[in-house]
Amino acid sequence: MKEWYNAINQAQSVEQLEEIRIAVFGKKGILADEFAKMKSAPDEEKAQIAKDLNTHKANLTHELMQRKIVLQTLELEAKMKAEAIDVTLYGSNCEAGALHPVMETMDRIIEYFASMNFSVYTGTMVEDDFNNFEALNLPKYHPARDMQDTFYFKDEMLLRTHTSPVQIRTMMQTKPPIRMIAPGAVFRRDYDITHTPMFHQVEGLLVDEEGKVSFANLKFILEDFLKYMFGDVEVRFRPSFFPFTEPSAEVDISCVFCKGHGCRVCSKTGWLEVLGCGIVDPNVFKAVKYKNVSGYAFGLGVERFAMLIHQIGDLRSLFEGDIKLLEQFQ
Amino acid sequence: MIITRSWLNEWIDLSDISTDDLVKTLNSIGLEVDRVHSYSVPGKIIFGRVLECEKHPDADKLNVCKVDIGTSVRQIVCGASNVRAGLDVVVATIGAVMPNGIVIKPVKLRGVESEGMICSAKEIGLEDCQSGIIELDSSVGNYTLGQELSENPIFSDDLIEIELTANRGDCLSIRGIARDLSAAYDRSLKEINLEDTHEDKRIGIGRILSLSYEKDLNVNLRYKAVDLKNLDLPFVLKLRLAQIEEKRDTNIESLLLYVTQSTGVVLRAYNYSFFAGEEDSIAKIELIEDENGYACVHAKEKASTVGINQEEASKATDEEATILIEASYIPPDIISKQMSVCKIPSGPMYYRTSRGSEPELNQGLGFCLKLVEKYSASSIYGGNIELCDAYENKVVSVSKKEIDEIIGAVIDKAKITKILKNLGFNTSKSQADNFVISVPRFRHDIVNKQDIVEEIVRLVGIDNIPSKPFVLKEENRLKDDYFLFKKRSLYRHKGANNGFFESVHFVFDEKKTLNHYGFETTKEELELLNPIVNTLDTLRPTLLTGLLKATSNNKNNGYASVKLFEVGSVFSPLREESLKMAFVWSGEKEKESLLNGGKPSKIDFATFVQTLSNVIGGFELTQHTPTHKLAHPYQCAQVMINGVAAGELFRIHPEVEEAYGIDVTYVCELDFTILPFTLKTAKQYSKYQASYRDLSLLVPKSMSYSELKAVIDANKSEELIRFYPVDRYSDKSLGENVSLSLRFVLQSNDKTLEEEDITSSIDKILDGLKLNLGIGLR
Repeated sequence: MKEWYNAINQAQSVEQLEEIRIAVFGKKGILADEFAKMKSAPDEEKAQIAKDLNTHKANLTHELMQRKIVLQTLELEAKMKAEAIDVTLYGSNCEAGALHPVMETMDRIIEYFASMNFSVYTGTMVEDDFNNFEALNLPKYHPARDMQDTFYFKDEMLLRTHTSPVQIRTMMQTKPPIRMIAPGAVFRRDYDITHTPMFHQVEGLLVDEEGKVSFANLKFILEDFLKYMFGDVEVRFRPSFFPFTEPSAEVDISCVFCKGHGCRVCSKTGWLEVLGCGIVDPNVFKAVKYKNVSGYAFGLGVERFAMLIHQIGDLRSLFEGDIKLLEQFQ
Repeated sequence: MIITRSWLNEWIDLSDISTDDLVKTLNSIGLEVDRVHSYSVPGKIIFGRVLECEKHPDADKLNVCKVDIGTSVRQIVCGASNVRAGLDVVVATIGAVMPNGIVIKPVKLRGVESEGMICSAKEIGLEDCQSGIIELDSSVGNYTLGQELSENPIFSDDLIEIELTANRGDCLSIRGIARDLSAAYDRSLKEINLEDTHEDKRIGIGRILSLSYEKDLNVNLRYKAVDLKNLDLPFVLKLRLAQIEEKRDTNIESLLLYVTQSTGVVLRAYNYSFFAGEEDSIAKIELIEDENGYACVHAKEKASTVGINQEEASKATDEEATILIEASYIPPDIISKQMSVCKIPSGPMYYRTSRGSEPELNQGLGFCLKLVEKYSASSIYGGNIELCDAYENKVVSVSKKEIDEIIGAVIDKAKITKILKNLGFNTSKSQADNFVISVPRFRHDIVNKQDIVEEIVRLVGIDNIPSKPFVLKEENRLKDDYFLFKKRSLYRHKGANNGFFESVHFVFDEKKTLNHYGFETTKEELELLNPIVNTLDTLRPTLLTGLLKATSNNKNNGYASVKLFEVGSVFSPLREESLKMAFVWSGEKEKESLLNGGKPSKIDFATFVQTLSNVIGGFELTQHTPTHKLAHPYQCAQVMINGVAAGELFRIHPEVEEAYGIDVTYVCELDFTILPFTLKTAKQYSKYQASYRDLSLLVPKSMSYSELKAVIDANKSEELIRFYPVDRYSDKSLGENVSLSLRFVLQSNDKTLEEEDITSSIDKILDGLKLNLGIGLR
């Protein structure tokens, strides 16, 4: 019997083990043989023989099971080993595209103002003189109306130089209170390292009852907005001048590159100009025939935001569909 | 506008204020500082005096000087042509490190000892304002021989460049900026005495000059006459003009420019003889309106256009002669309105007059004559000849409540009064909480309440106004344009997720190229008047040309596979704007990788269509012949979405591919408004198993699948829920036919279909195909 124990423990495969099982436990196996032999043994020994045989049967079954588990584990291991892959051969091979950084920045800006309960209005790119200039307190002789700055058409229409005409149109078509932003492409006749003839703006406007809208309100929303866009920056307001607002201010953030210590990007000042804003000039309300109202307005260039946020150096590269730039935003 | 601390200090005492503080204040009151440049002459460069000056024995161009440097007299060899005995000079002594790095050491120059160097402005790091060595004079202030230059504020100063907004013409002078700072720091301007103490001893100007005018031209003029003799510009004046990067041909023009820069008053100098009459009669100035509607100063000929330019022939020179000095003021709105009606060539003063020059003419003229007397041997005529318009200061009323409401904070009343007073506004007629403010003429930009509030805001400091959230009425502000933004966002994300890079291009394009490819561009009478370059001379009617150009650039940059999309506006010939979404896929299908053995296949029609449907959802393609010439004539389709034509999908014509230098390229341009953006509804679906049948049909090569499809659609049973081509095979044995395998999916809502149900459905279709198209199973 002992040799069968050895045979089980030395079996090298599940198949070999199966052969042993048949040889031991099969109908013509040695156990069946032994039990048969028992019949011819003396009666008084029968009980002892049967007991011994049953012990062997139980032990052999146990050994067989144990060996089977071992062999199965080894075989699975061998099978899996054969399936081994050099994982280091593979890496990111992204075939996805990406959103344009300017458009993605525009999305973030719109989402902020929409969540602050501003409406979105887009308007058209071809505009007339009244909506783009006259109604915005930009009288005919204002230097900003120079041919150098504006694209005109032969029929005296023009390409909007800012998205403010959308605000004028909205004010003429609806009644206060108004709480809106106007995102979109705008056009200036300028083409060099820091100017492109087309760029994008988001302008905002709030109009409510007279005496209700203050400069302090404007300060609140812009400080909050700039922190949302740029993270933990300092915000500074500087008095400035725009024909359509009074008082007016330019808004700076502490330089995102040098944290305000002064570097090439901020011309060593520690500050970056990012926004223009102010209290709506009474002449603008007069132009749209609004009475007894007050309001604030602000405007920003989306390309500038995108370039500062994503540290893009060349403005013109944004309009070339250059995959070298775009694939960095996958 | 460039200012220096020392120049500013002549008009307001800010010597106790640091430059950092000054810059901060300038910014906070709305005078934006663009740049600060500090300079200081290095140590061991001192004031000296040339005691003796003799020619070098062995060198024609060198002089041997004995120079008093306070503690001792040194021998210095100097090559400048303007060195002479008695001159006060700048001496770099032994050990001085010059700005260019050179260390001054004792040397022998052609055998003569030299212990130091007499310096030019450039050599000590200043602007090149004088040829030869610096000739010092009293204009630099008090100094002692041997004293270091760096102790003198002229030689150790800060240059501050301010970017002025268009409304602040009053700050286009040192005095103007000093006036604004006097309000910010609450301290008064320095008094400069302009009174003429010799007035009674002078010959009156009326004896030599008269002024006539034909009508009221809204101009203020004031003239002084001078017998000019030996005008010599002091060093500081020359240095400052060089610092502001200005240069004039004559001393008299330089002096006038310096005065204008200091005071803001626009000045001109005329040659008296230009106006002189016959024989002994006195000279006559006429003020007339010229043919363009501008006010002009005239003799027999035009001498100048007020506020715009001066004729060369009337200009005064430095020669000993009688000259007339004119101060002028013309309201900026009048001059810029006239310029917009009739543009004429303008001179350097126009920028100033169109933004508002200083209206108080004697501030400039008086200061100018003080300098003429100081720096020349001229004699001045008494009195002046002038023409003044009747002007009353504008009055603006504003209540304290209005000020507080616009600012959104309560501002102390006394503070408001003080700010206005320091800015030169008269508030004496104010009552209780109502300010009645008389606005001085130099602030032409102040016309209404909000202008007054702006003055208060900038001097209170915006940083000192606490932010306050606006309290608003809740309202649903989600309008149509917001949903358009969401739709754009959705499709743009889908485009990017399917491997396309978003691209943005100018809405301008080249007319010539577009017409060449058969696109109709903006009608001639509606066309751009002033395009920026020839290659961007019209509005684009398609997004495709921009995308093809970007494809070509990327190909040249080494990208074998280019996938781009754009959502943007295009314009019809009538200039109507519409929104399109376009895709381009050029070259290889994917990157080289282990997946494709480093040999990716080229993009094909089927893959392009498949990917596009991942972006835009379901659509059908119909045969299409486009109106333009970009498309491959045999691979061009119209995209139908829910039965509506939404755009074109095609391979680029091989000739166009060659012209752009690009590989095989597929494009699709769609009308963005037709892309669906509605909420989906779920249909009822069967709980029973679906059955599949594949049929291989023998179809003539020339037959369009759409014909087959139409027949199957007409003959299909209710149980046939879907069918689609899965294989197309041809070989020689099939001749002019192809084997087209279609898969049919059948399913019932009521039961699992039996074999006979399926057979009867399929048979009906086969019968239909036989009958209508004469085709059958392979």
